[in-house]
Amino acid sequence: MNLKSFLRHRMTEASLTLIFILGFLALVATSQGVLLSEESLQSFFTYLAIPILIGMAQMVVLAVGQMNLAVGAMGGVSSAVMAVLMADHKFPIWAGLLVGFLSALAMGAINGALVVVTQLNGFIITLGTMTILLGFQYRLVRTFTIDQYPTSLSDFGTKSIGPVPYILLISLAVSVLLSLYFTRTGSGRRVLATGGNPLAARLSGISNARSVFIAHTLSGALVGAASIITIASLSGINRSIGGDWMLSSFAAPIIGGVLMAGGTIAVYGTVIAAGVIRLVDIARAQYSLDPSIVSFTVGVVVLSTVALSEWRRRGSERQHVGRKVSA
Amino acid sequence: MKLTRKITSILSDQRVVLSIITLALFLFFGLKNKAFFSADFVLFPLLRDAATITVVGLAQLCALSIGHLNLAVGRMAAVSAMATGYSYQYLGFSLPLGVLVGLITGALLGALTGWIVVKSQVNAFIVTLAMDFALLGFVTFIYVTFTPAAAFTTKPAGMDFWRNTSLAQYCIAGVCGPKIFPMMIFPMIVALLLVGFMYGKTRLGRELLLTGSNLRAAKLSGIPVDRRVITAHIFSGTLAGLAGVMLGFTNGSFSAAIGSEFMLPSFLGPVLGGTLLTGGSVAVFGTMMGTLLTLVIRQGLSVQGIGLETLNIALGLVLLLALSLGQIQKMFTSIRSRGRT
Repeated sequence: MNLKSFLRHRMTEASLTLIFILGFLALVATSQGVLLSEESLQSFFTYLAIPILIGMAQMVVLAVGQMNLAVGAMGGVSSAVMAVLMADHKFPIWAGLLVGFLSALAMGAINGALVVVTQLNGFIITLGTMTILLGFQYRLVRTFTIDQYPTSLSDFGTKSIGPVPYILLISLAVSVLLSLYFTRTGSGRRVLATGGNPLAARLSGISNARSVFIAHTLSGALVGAASIITIASLSGINRSIGGDWMLSSFAAPIIGGVLMAGGTIAVYGTVIAAGVIRLVDIARAQYSLDPSIVSFTVGVVVLSTVALSEWRRRGSERQHVGRKVSA
Repeated sequence: MKLTRKITSILSDQRVVLSIITLALFLFFGLKNKAFFSADFVLFPLLRDAATITVVGLAQLCALSIGHLNLAVGRMAAVSAMATGYSYQYLGFSLPLGVLVGLITGALLGALTGWIVVKSQVNAFIVTLAMDFALLGFVTFIYVTFTPAAAFTTKPAGMDFWRNTSLAQYCIAGVCGPKIFPMMIFPMIVALLLVGFMYGKTRLGRELLLTGSNLRAAKLSGIPVDRRVITAHIFSGTLAGLAGVMLGFTNGSFSAAIGSEFMLPSFLGPVLGGTLLTGGSVAVFGTMMGTLLTLVIRQGLSVQGIGLETLNIALGLVLLLALSLGQIQKMFTSIRSRGRT
């Protein structure tokens, strides 16, 4: 592969990496190097682990051309399940985490089954399940903050190799696995084929229903993983968990180059975009700006990315057509 | 035979079914707990909310009519309410002038959304979702920067009249209007009549519906499809703006929280009423009935002392059930028609 075609295909990821490095250096320079201290690096990485995973959870659903509005509610319920089991029912850590993870997996599977059975847009189904799950979340935690679970769990959340916490390594490992799934396995490629062109996929013998079900179930599993990390990195679980997940779940993959029309994934792009968003958040804290400025910036960037990517795609299509005619 | 067929045809009308269910639930909740019939504490606020949420539903209905979704209804309402509140607080506008400002803001937002959808050819729900994210930050930012208490609190003359007055204060020849009807139902009625008239009687409405049911056919029959898409989004934005202003009046102040609860109800009303998500068919009056049903369920359960969490579960289930019922009905009719041929 020559450099030119590499750059064309990896344009988004290359420029995001550049933005990340430049932004990081700028923040280091303006904070007189405070950002490089082990403490602030560690907190930077700790709060990067969750956005990466919820971005992945949205990305797999986007890959089949659908969306999952319930990521936040699913995360809220599954982390509440973990916390309640460990704190009130004295489950051992592994059992609590496992049951919580499985509950998230089941919620994803239910979303997938409902979408397949009713043949409706995944958006409206997940709007419904989101509302139901928010009810369950409130039922589980009420207005309390549950923090009576074993401290070894939150100790694990603070452990790190140098400045890199274990939990970031976990979410990076999950990302690598996900990337392998989509590029190296037949099942992953079938899911992408469904997203790229459902009709063509069906004609080549792929079950679109199975792809949609797999994508939603996988999304549930990734939310489950995000919940495990949430409960390990926070000191308590309350009803606000998951409330602010929706924007970041969409922002990271879209900025990272995932097409909302389906058929593509961008694991590295999603990770690096989550990093850039995290930098914006750090910048806000450093210059003490209002939090709303972050969601405004991110929203505008998402809106323009969506419009731009489509415009670019159509431009390249026109170019191809033109080339064919002249040849 | 004829009679049974007539009865089935009446019963298969979604609006009739909705009215019967709503009435039955209304009586059920009222008989279980007399407090539900209280005009001041339950029915008056219920109808005031119903008026606002019906308008939100109509805003969604306009987008649904061309097969699009508007996920930014709530935030468009928030921006419009913000513009109205700003005009009252800093420009000293009168009440109707401020409302006009809100409506124009909504229309402009809708036009912008429609224009992006047409120009970028991106799915409408993606554009409106991104729009929602952008406006969310914008609204909070403006309130935090421009107001001390994160709300515009100036009340122009006449606002309290719209908030608190019921028809009971109007009497014709000694007969007064019922106490349960708030003044807020008038903007709703106007919106219902206008939207209903447009879709039922005008060429524009038919063109919108045709665009929704079959884009290609619409294009081939000479309908300016792109312009109709923008039109539908302008209507959607304007109605969302009206709803935002109505909620601002009800609350007595304009804050960033306006519209944050609009998304789910905006779909519940039209979908329960029989509007298709795929476009091409709308149920204007049904939207009001669907909204009433959801509000009766919500208020009824909360009068029984059932908490917020169960309400959410119930409303989510209602939405999923209504959607699956429509789907099952479609399946049955296709089986039956296949059996006949």
